[in-house]
Amino acid sequence: MLVACGNSDDKTKKDKAKGENEHVLTISWPKDIGEVNPHLYAPNEMFAQAMIYDPLVRYGNDGQIEPGLATAWEMSQDGKSYIFTLRDNVLYSDGSQLTADNVKRNIETVVENIAPHSWLEVVAVIDRVEVLDKLKLQIHLKEPYYPFLQELTLIRPLRMLGDSGFPASGTTKDGIEKAVGTGPWILTDYKQDNFAEFSRNEHYWGEKPKLEKVIVKIIPDSQARMMALEKGDIDLIFGSGQLAPEELRVLEKNPQYQTLISEPSSTRILSFNSDYGVTQDKDVRLALQYAFDRQTIIEHVLNGIEQEAKSLFAPGFPYSDIPFESYSYDLEKAQQLLDKAGWIFEEGAPFRSKDGQALTITIPYNSNDQVHKSIFEYLQGAWRELGVDVKLIGEEDQLFRTRSKTGEFNVIMNDTWGAPYDPHMYLRMMTGEKQIGHYALKGTAHSEQLAANIAKVIRSTDESERQSLYETILQTIHEEAIFMPLSYRTNYLVANQRLANLSFSMQQFEVPLNQYEVK
Amino acid sequence: MFAFFVKRLVSMLLALFGITIIAFGLIRFIPVDPVEAYFTINQIPATEEAMTSMREDMGLDQPLGTQYIVWLSHALQLDFGTSFVSKKAVATELFQRFETTFLLAVTALVIIIVSSLTIGIWSASKNSGWLDWLTRTAIFTIASMPSFWLAFLFIYTVALKWGVLPLMGWGSFAHVILPSITLALGFIPYYIRLIRSSMREEMKKPHVLFARARGVKETVILRTHIFKGILPQLITSLAMTCGGLLGGAAIIENVFAISGVGHFIVEAMLARDYAVLQAFIVIIGGLYIIVNFIADILCAVIDPRVRLKGGAL
Repeated sequence: MLVACGNSDDKTKKDKAKGENEHVLTISWPKDIGEVNPHLYAPNEMFAQAMIYDPLVRYGNDGQIEPGLATAWEMSQDGKSYIFTLRDNVLYSDGSQLTADNVKRNIETVVENIAPHSWLEVVAVIDRVEVLDKLKLQIHLKEPYYPFLQELTLIRPLRMLGDSGFPASGTTKDGIEKAVGTGPWILTDYKQDNFAEFSRNEHYWGEKPKLEKVIVKIIPDSQARMMALEKGDIDLIFGSGQLAPEELRVLEKNPQYQTLISEPSSTRILSFNSDYGVTQDKDVRLALQYAFDRQTIIEHVLNGIEQEAKSLFAPGFPYSDIPFESYSYDLEKAQQLLDKAGWIFEEGAPFRSKDGQALTITIPYNSNDQVHKSIFEYLQGAWRELGVDVKLIGEEDQLFRTRSKTGEFNVIMNDTWGAPYDPHMYLRMMTGEKQIGHYALKGTAHSEQLAANIAKVIRSTDESERQSLYETILQTIHEEAIFMPLSYRTNYLVANQRLANLSFSMQQFEVPLNQYEVK
Repeated sequence: MFAFFVKRLVSMLLALFGITIIAFGLIRFIPVDPVEAYFTINQIPATEEAMTSMREDMGLDQPLGTQYIVWLSHALQLDFGTSFVSKKAVATELFQRFETTFLLAVTALVIIIVSSLTIGIWSASKNSGWLDWLTRTAIFTIASMPSFWLAFLFIYTVALKWGVLPLMGWGSFAHVILPSITLALGFIPYYIRLIRSSMREEMKKPHVLFARARGVKETVILRTHIFKGILPQLITSLAMTCGGLLGGAAIIENVFAISGVGHFIVEAMLARDYAVLQAFIVIIGGLYIIVNFIADILCAVIDPRVRLKGGAL
């Protein structure tokens, strides 16, 4: 009897849908998708925003800008305005047509609510939007910004909402009326914190999804997710945020499942504070670079899932293919560097010191992140042999991030931004107060020059000048030894054998569900 | 009795007022405010201008006293403001989830009462036989397991391998069974012990001995003399457990993917969602106080000694 009444709303829905049609995929997600407002951040989940809404332009697999809702675009000579020609006959899910007026309304509502977006230059730099005709508009910028198109490809906040999706107040800052987009999927059913059902948008202007429905089940716990996959309640677990590396390795061995690992995206880096304590000394930074055994960490902590990073940005990112001789693991060299710089062992002392100052490195980390914890515990042991005293401070995520803003650390873990932000966004953040990158730059001998070059490169409208500026910037960063790249992060997924054609998007939080198929 | 009631009522209202101050003040001592937390959760950098402007929007730039008065005057009308994260009314957000958690907690409470009374009374009436020992050992072994681990054990065996109950989610009575049993298991041993030891104590009391001497039937002695004697203590403990059940529900809800208030509060805590946290503390604190108030009154009705002592507060 218990079994007979054991079907929940969502389960019944899924079974019903499956019974009618096999082209239904069920995916787990750790958090509720929110109301899916294209112009705001949490609680709106990015993968859901990307399913419903389209950008003017897209980020192609090779980093090239491709047409989205706009089929053509043209930058003015001075780099201060762009004219976009919109795709004709694009319909929103409510049947209304995409027009230049509607795009202007979307951009303006985001620009009006500048506070949460002030970090994002693509919003901050917009001066005004002018409608030229029904399908043509011109965006005027306050000053040139070369990554403008790249940042227009972002999942948020500049994707387009249909007019009927705007709330009565007229500004999406207050929420949306309903999720009306032009994207490949339509949100057809939703129960907060329980499930969301997306159906194929039959009017989608691009290549239509092969699946008819995607059901998203909200499962916050990772063990519970794995059991749901085993029971067949879900078909797919997507993303490194949902599955720890060792869990992936366990599932990989099971023939019931298929696993897939993406190409490198952002870079995991250990960043120095060049303006705090012993890491102000360039020789200390250099010695630690040589005492950094990436291979061991990747093999034992990251389960070999990520590739060794030899540069700040993975090869293939714009302006980033610059050959450097990376600091490879050489403990002896590290010891020599410290000896030469005067960091020596006083008699009977376990750690090195110089002029009475002990060689102590403070490393805060997010205690909820098992990977961070393991990496630093390993380094604590490994660097002890070098005579470096590593003090670890494990803190809750919010406290950890607050500490990162104070600069009270010698080494800290952080990631570059990945596509479409890298390299410009990570470098630009180095010039902003209280940023990890800023603390890396602040105490170096060339900090002013470096900051000036970064400010210059994002305003440059000349391609060759940009290339040479990036070369100089990355060369200085390398010589100053302020970042220790560890590995290029990858995304991964686990699915049952029902599914085919699985892949990843360039943007980490986008799930390319419109390409997935049921066998 | 009336004086007792009035005194208890006044102290309850004072405690409620105290809770509003604690709810409002205490969470402001937690490092990192909601505006900073907002940027952290979204993993986006915050500029000073952005933070100032958002603090103004949220009214966090006002003096604390003003913020408190505005909040309290709305809270008295059950308007707890808007969540910083979801931008929805906190009252709606909380109450819709309370329903789920409440059902989970009440079912667990029923399981606790029924099972611990049955086993406790049975165990107290046996004289340390081997069966009594075995039962207690089994119960305490289960109690020493962490609830999340027990939850996984249940999910794995009952839901995944045998397939008799749903794996997770919410929506029917079958969904309530596993989580509520898991939740109840942590409390049952405590109650068995409580019932068993206080009944044994009660059995030794003169009025029980005299009843036996008078030739009163054992079942009558158990019901009217022994059980009535332990009831006030049992009611008070159960009233305290109500709060514990809500706390325990947070872990259970996470594992069983149930959208209840427990999981919601953990998220609100990480986001430093003041409006949600304040409302939650006031509601839970209020419930605690009201439940204890009712328990006090019940005890006073059952046991005249309580109202005589309590009346002289």
